[in-house]
Amino acid sequence: MHTDAAAAPSRLAHHFPDMKTQEHAARMGMWLFLSTEILLFAVLFTAYAVYRFLFPQGFDEASKLAHVAMGATNTVVLITSSLTVALAIHYARLGENRKVVGLLGVTILFGLTFMVLKGFEYHHHWVDGQLPGRLYHYAGLQGPGVSMYFTIYFLMTGLHGLHVLIGMSVLGWVAWRAGRGEFGPGYSTPVELSGLYWHLVDLIWIFLFPLLYLM
Amino acid sequence: MTATTHSEGKHLGPVHYVLVWAALMVLTGVTLAVWKTDLSHSGRVVAALAIATVKAALVAVVFMHLWEEQGIARLVLLVSALFVALLIGLVMADNATRFPYANPPYSESWKDDPWRNEAPPMQADPGPVRVSPKTATEHPASHKP
Repeated sequence: MHTDAAAAPSRLAHHFPDMKTQEHAARMGMWLFLSTEILLFAVLFTAYAVYRFLFPQGFDEASKLAHVAMGATNTVVLITSSLTVALAIHYARLGENRKVVGLLGVTILFGLTFMVLKGFEYHHHWVDGQLPGRLYHYAGLQGPGVSMYFTIYFLMTGLHGLHVLIGMSVLGWVAWRAGRGEFGPGYSTPVELSGLYWHLVDLIWIFLFPLLYLM
Repeated sequence: MTATTHSEGKHLGPVHYVLVWAALMVLTGVTLAVWKTDLSHSGRVVAALAIATVKAALVAVVFMHLWEEQGIARLVLLVSALFVALLIGLVMADNATRFPYANPPYSESWKDDPWRNEAPPMQADPGPVRVSPKTATEHPASHKP
């Protein structure tokens, strides 16, 4: 385990009086960034709300074409990955870097599982012609608003999937740093902040799943 | 072990995380159970959003450590939630109160208008033919005198 005295002075930027203030500022900055992410997704949730309001029947019928089993499995996968990240932060604060590496590795595997299942879903929609806008050519369901559902489905899950990929990369980088034994009681900010990002990705999926799959 | 970065006595541990994970699993089950029932459409929307909000609050407060957070950082999430509500609420209010033709063709707003064009009906399975020959021959361009 690292001692505070050894780790703290080199980590402290000159414009902060102490590590406590520095980490508080870092978390504050991360929360501000996350709020911009929330507003980015909020625009798409607004589009969803508007078109669901304008085409209730089209959205009802189209959302029955979503693959609920895979979506529900992905919900379980992401929530469990949030648990492993929360535990990784806990052990990073204790300086148990080997556990951090293991837990972040498991989290990345969960992320990979999520993306593979998402890929299968996309493949099914692709084969069936359930595509956005005028690319939609599924004969089994035609009507106003139906292709708009798939436009919004692909936009929202696509942007969310991109965030999963970014989260996996960041967690991989943090796991590599944990492997070098960098984290301990005096310094765990990178694990905390990347963990916040991963939790936000989970949080957005918690809303996406019922709205897109279960209406 | 108490890190220098957080207030004393508010620390969350693995037990809390596992309990919250279990609660999130149960709530996911409840979401799916509600979906299986034949609740009314608006009932489903309200139930799904209520459960999702509880789940999101659990993630934010425990997993994202808002419980341990101090000062203004605790306010950021609430403020962004307020702005999300404003955005969705005002845009919906706009769409719901428009002159019907200001909304897209065949949308809900056109429903009660006597002059509207009939929306093409939802087709469960129209078969392989997507453009019916009848419609094609009745098109003005192909109309014979």
